[in-house]
Amino acid sequence: MAPATSVKLSMASEIRLVDLVHEASQKMAEIAGLEEDAALNVALAVREAVINAITHGNQKDPERTVDLTLTANGSGIVVTIRDQGEGFDPAGTRDPRSAENLLRSSGRGLLLIRAFVDEVKFRKRRGRGMEVTLVKRNPPTSAAVAESIHPAGRNQGGAR
Amino acid sequence: MKAAVRKIGHVAVLDLVGKITIGEGDVVLREKVLEMLGAGEKNVLLNLEKVSYMDSAGIGELVACYKRSKEKGGSVKLLKPSGKVLDLLQLTKLEEVFDTYNDEKEALVSF
Repeated sequence: MAPATSVKLSMASEIRLVDLVHEASQKMAEIAGLEEDAALNVALAVREAVINAITHGNQKDPERTVDLTLTANGSGIVVTIRDQGEGFDPAGTRDPRSAENLLRSSGRGLLLIRAFVDEVKFRKRRGRGMEVTLVKRNPPTSAAVAESIHPAGRNQGGAR
Repeated sequence: MKAAVRKIGHVAVLDLVGKITIGEGDVVLREKVLEMLGAGEKNVLLNLEKVSYMDSAGIGELVACYKRSKEKGGSVKLLKPSGKVLDLLQLTKLEEVFDTYNDEKEALVSF
């Protein structure tokens, strides 16, 4: 199991910096042990969360920052994205897959985030903006699967 | 992202290479399709074979292109979406909106 490591980024609210965060997220996901496709999924989820933070949270004000912490640990990757906006209620967003919204040209960011990571948490920080935490776990190794089926230490009739 | 137009009969094929993402690919796509529609093209086929992925802005631009062409009495269809692009079209249910083909000849005769 690789030792935990983390990166902190503080970026101006500029769309041209989104690719940089995408690359960093993908690399950290690979360091966490995720395979190529899963690492791209993490990067796409982080990309969407950062775009939301820049456009909806910080209203594209370059004076406001978006702060990220990317932590690769033994079980996967955890990414925290903070903006300096007013916050929002994720439950109040439209379903972009319903017939009436299918032809809208925006509103799919949260759908992508939820689809591409295992866990998403939203927290409104009173007067300090929104915090979004994304978690993507490593798939269990074959050894872990075997352990869950036949836990070590359980008496299976063998010699003591 | 790179984009190049091929005219085959009454269909304009737009070959896209790269990623359709915010601030870059989505802008290229918008400008190219506007240019094609402005030139009177009614039948537009977007070749996505060499597009590696899209983000929500890129997906939104695909939808915008679809709507703009409809408004002008034309249509936008998709060719060879695969991998992550296909995943995204399925996830967003846009595969139900776009006519999608894996064979270029079949796509060309569908207009």
